[in-house]
Amino acid sequence: MESVLLRARGVSDSRSIATYLAAGGYEGWKKALGVGPDAVVKEVLDSELRGRGGAGFPTGRKWSFVPKDHPGPRYLICNADESEPGTFKDREIIEHDPHQVIEGIAIASFAIKANTAYIYIRGEFVRWAKILEKAIAEARAQGLLGTNVLSSGFDLDIWVHRGAGAYICGEETALIESLEGKRGFPRLKPPFPAVVGAFGKPTVVNNVETLACVPHIMTRGATWFASIGRPRNTGPKLFCVSGHVNRPGVYELPLGVTFREIIEEHCGGIKGGRKLKAFFPGGSSAPIMTAEEVDVRADFDACAEAHTMLGSGGVIVLDDSVDMVNVADNIAHFYAHESCGQCTPCREGSDWCADILDRIAAGHGRSADPDTLLRICRFSSEGMTICPLGDAYALPISSMVNKFRADFERRIAGASPLPPKKLPVLPWTGPRPGFGI
Amino acid sequence: MTTCPLVVAPPETTANVTFDKTMDDRIGEVMRRYPTRRAALLPVLWLCQERFGWISPGVISAVAERLGDSPAFVDGVVSFYTMYHTSPPARYVLQVCTTLSCSVCGGRELVEHLKAKLGVGFGEKTPDGSFQLVGVQCLGACGNAPVIQVNDDYYENLTPQRLDAMLDELREGR
Amino acid sequence: MPKLTIDGREVEVAARTNLIEAARAAGIAIPYFCYHPYMTVVGQCRICMVEIEGQPRLALGCATSATDGMVVKAETSERAKEAREAVMEFLLANHPLDCPVCDQAGECLLQDHSMREQRGTFTSHMAETRRTFPGYERRLLGPHIVQNQNRCIHCSRCIRFTSEISETAALTYKSRGNSMFIDTFSGEAFDDPMSACAADVCPVGALTVREFRFRKRAWKLRSTPSICPGCSIGCNIFIDHHEREVHRFTPRENPAINATWLCDYGRFLADSLNEQTYLYPQHRKAGRLVRAGWSEALAALALEVRAARPLRVVASANLSNEALFLARELFGHHLRGDLVVPVTTGEQRRMKNGRGEWLQATDPYPNSLGARRLGLNVVDGDGLSRFLYGGSGLTLILDAEAHPFLAGAEALQLLRVGATAVWLRREHPLAGVAGWLLPAASLASDEGTFTASTGAVQHFAAAFSPPGTVRRMPTGAMSPECPTIASPWGPPGEARPLWLVLTALARELGASNLDLASPAEVFTLMARTERAFAGLEWEPLGGLQRDESLRERQHVG
Repeated sequence: MESVLLRARGVSDSRSIATYLAAGGYEGWKKALGVGPDAVVKEVLDSELRGRGGAGFPTGRKWSFVPKDHPGPRYLICNADESEPGTFKDREIIEHDPHQVIEGIAIASFAIKANTAYIYIRGEFVRWAKILEKAIAEARAQGLLGTNVLSSGFDLDIWVHRGAGAYICGEETALIESLEGKRGFPRLKPPFPAVVGAFGKPTVVNNVETLACVPHIMTRGATWFASIGRPRNTGPKLFCVSGHVNRPGVYELPLGVTFREIIEEHCGGIKGGRKLKAFFPGGSSAPIMTAEEVDVRADFDACAEAHTMLGSGGVIVLDDSVDMVNVADNIAHFYAHESCGQCTPCREGSDWCADILDRIAAGHGRSADPDTLLRICRFSSEGMTICPLGDAYALPISSMVNKFRADFERRIAGASPLPPKKLPVLPWTGPRPGFGI
Repeated sequence: MTTCPLVVAPPETTANVTFDKTMDDRIGEVMRRYPTRRAALLPVLWLCQERFGWISPGVISAVAERLGDSPAFVDGVVSFYTMYHTSPPARYVLQVCTTLSCSVCGGRELVEHLKAKLGVGFGEKTPDGSFQLVGVQCLGACGNAPVIQVNDDYYENLTPQRLDAMLDELREGR
Repeated sequence: MPKLTIDGREVEVAARTNLIEAARAAGIAIPYFCYHPYMTVVGQCRICMVEIEGQPRLALGCATSATDGMVVKAETSERAKEAREAVMEFLLANHPLDCPVCDQAGECLLQDHSMREQRGTFTSHMAETRRTFPGYERRLLGPHIVQNQNRCIHCSRCIRFTSEISETAALTYKSRGNSMFIDTFSGEAFDDPMSACAADVCPVGALTVREFRFRKRAWKLRSTPSICPGCSIGCNIFIDHHEREVHRFTPRENPAINATWLCDYGRFLADSLNEQTYLYPQHRKAGRLVRAGWSEALAALALEVRAARPLRVVASANLSNEALFLARELFGHHLRGDLVVPVTTGEQRRMKNGRGEWLQATDPYPNSLGARRLGLNVVDGDGLSRFLYGGSGLTLILDAEAHPFLAGAEALQLLRVGATAVWLRREHPLAGVAGWLLPAASLASDEGTFTASTGAVQHFAAAFSPPGTVRRMPTGAMSPECPTIASPWGPPGEARPLWLVLTALARELGASNLDLASPAEVFTLMARTERAFAGLEWEPLGGLQRDESLRERQHVG
């Protein structure tokens, strides 16, 4: 397949606007301004582009949810808070081709008639925030952004907003809260952001990769886009492969390739000639898949059929040297650290899981532990929490317990009981004012 | 790539903070981007962290006053996010990714190596104040595992040898 | 008006009512922790899960609006019950098992719901070390609030209270996830003017009121609906008492005045109701105070007021409408005396009503509007001084605390000229000059109505009979003395509410139309004769009725 989103990779000075314009950049933006918002939405609807951030929701439909007759401002937010373990595609796009994202933002903003767009980028990505800011300044200098863009009467400002270290802010309502200057607590839905979003106004939140697809759909047409991949799972997709493979990295492949192709052909197989044991198909929030499931197609629907999800396309490959207890322990700690703490099952459950897995990993497992883990996971997912972070830790952990129960039972079989705890003696720090009640 | 050391204002000078003209103008410029004053909070805190090196209670009070929020609210926001330093950091903050991909690709060994070499655990500073070791969650560079972020810069595909060279370079650069 | 079915019961509710309120209307209690009818819905605690027919996932009772034709299963849904049991397990996983030493026990939502939502055979799966917050277990958060973070269930009610209701935004979450805790900014004291409400809204023992801690177990307390005497806003309260001792005020729901809030100033007036220095009528004879019985006192007073030329009466805006009405009829009309109600300006008090509007008052009396509406002569300090000036004859002071002027040297000087009778409860300089000292009862033993600054006429009930002779047994328990013949009005103690004394005095004076048996009768007479009270009825006065108020509503069990 030809390179679409990553076509600038390897091109010298690929980040500059001159290079981008020379390759036909901003043609989609000009075309969009010519045909009008409704035609843009229709084109994207026809392309069957699905959100690349994780949920795979059709992008055109998301845009069409914005109330047409809403007076006052609306907002477009580009979600560059890429924090899902195993995912590093947005960084790659921004590194090589920031203008692609800017153009996508411009077209999307125009489609929903938003005059202000924000790029919410994760706080750690200082370098990439600077790249985006430079690109915005260049586009503005060329009259592609700002007031009365290309004499179309449309105004557009794009601002880069840096996060400050919170995985949960990748969830769209938490992202909006964070953008509004609050703690990143996800909101109850409904109302959905398309109706009540940032600053109480209709807002669309799209992933970097989703928006990067948009200029190509505009220039080359929905039919071309839909011809890539499979029905309802169209277009190119960036797969981020990490873990035990010979050539980890970002690969642009059509949706619908099998994981076997990704791992064996594109990434050169498992490192050190070892055997594949398991892999996460779409970031650590997706239920894990075993080596037997490697022939599943990497698209949204096929993954859903296999009771997992394509998510962000972050494929984490694990060879037969890993013990699933350690993997589960590692990701449980990730989610316990990143749980916002707002709602009960996730706040209590994520930490509880991490504690149990710590104990099993330390050789003090109990025979009831796997079932306790399953119970915690069951009641943290499927609508028990405000946002999908509950599912994000519950589904992979329960899939690991279910699919690799032998690993857990082996560790538990050889376990010793927890040594008796020494009760702590509080150190005497002298009388403290206000503490003597 | 040369990573600049953090410039950290000592606690004495950040107990009571007033913004000078340049700072105030920059804050004003940031606030114009958003329809509400509160929305400027995260960028303003970044400006403050750039200026003072960390977010002291004095900085929180000053920011709260400037944005018209209660200091408790600002404090709550600062404590939610992991990247705002609420105590003076070392000159180089080594943020080691401990999440899955890095962990299985040599990250665990790297952490052991760092702890042994610097003689500190996670969250601690070396006695000379040049390095601070922090264990962080996924940095979003899993393809180049293991990864360490030093201040603002990413160092990828690390091995203990490359790490040693990097640390020496940073130490000399100070 | 959507009509829906909850657990087989049909109910019609107002549009946009959530399922918790709709279920309450149907007589079904859906449990909740984070929901509060006067604060934003956050859906954090997840205990209010219900099943809605046709929806694959469980829904939140707090965040789901009732729609027409909805079929909801709360108690009858096995799935919802299972989910709620799991949420209880999550909440209790890190909650200390310290109910015996926790002051919230008995009025703790977590306790109530765990009894209800977890089957008797249920055992927790939690085998790990509980989360603790060293240094935050017993911490003074502010002058009135003690924090025990270990008990916190992170419902954020206290935070929302400070940001949405008291608008100080003084409390916040710090950190995140499982290590999140409640704190103020950088160790500052939480001294919000309504800070104790944060403990009220706290469903567990994480925030408790310093003044009330460990004074009385919640289940021992009896609550009597009353009105806060602190200012003219007239917040609705419960007087929580046990064995004729007042232990605290708690807010009683009234959407028009105080929603479910109470300011700290008003709340901590509770203790002052227990002060009762004067227990018996006393008469000054040859410079010495001599104890007298009420019958003797009333007979002597009747003689004195009949002979008094002139008769001056200082009433008070602290008195109920009934007492003021009786005083006006008896002393003003029947005896042709002069009557004033002195008022002063106090500190500003604020209260937020159920619509989120601030009510303000600088009037420190609960009933000055009532006095005005009864057509009484309301005067300030100067007016009072002129009123008392040149006074031979008899001055009746119906409330020693009617005005600070009465405690000053000038007033005492003026009152030395003639004869004085004063009603008082606590130590007061007037006791040194008055010829008659008559013990007054506190608000807790009085009954009547106050007219709030909004114009609402609100009823307060008597919590217990006048606490004149409560005594402490050697065991620490309280016991009333036996009724005696010397105490003709039933239970012991000879401090009497003013309405009772005035009706008795009316009998002595032969004003038989005022010889009424209860404040209710006085009120009925008032409603018949006074324009300001026309059409009002005694029974439905004041805020929500008892069984509708929030404290019962919180305790949905």
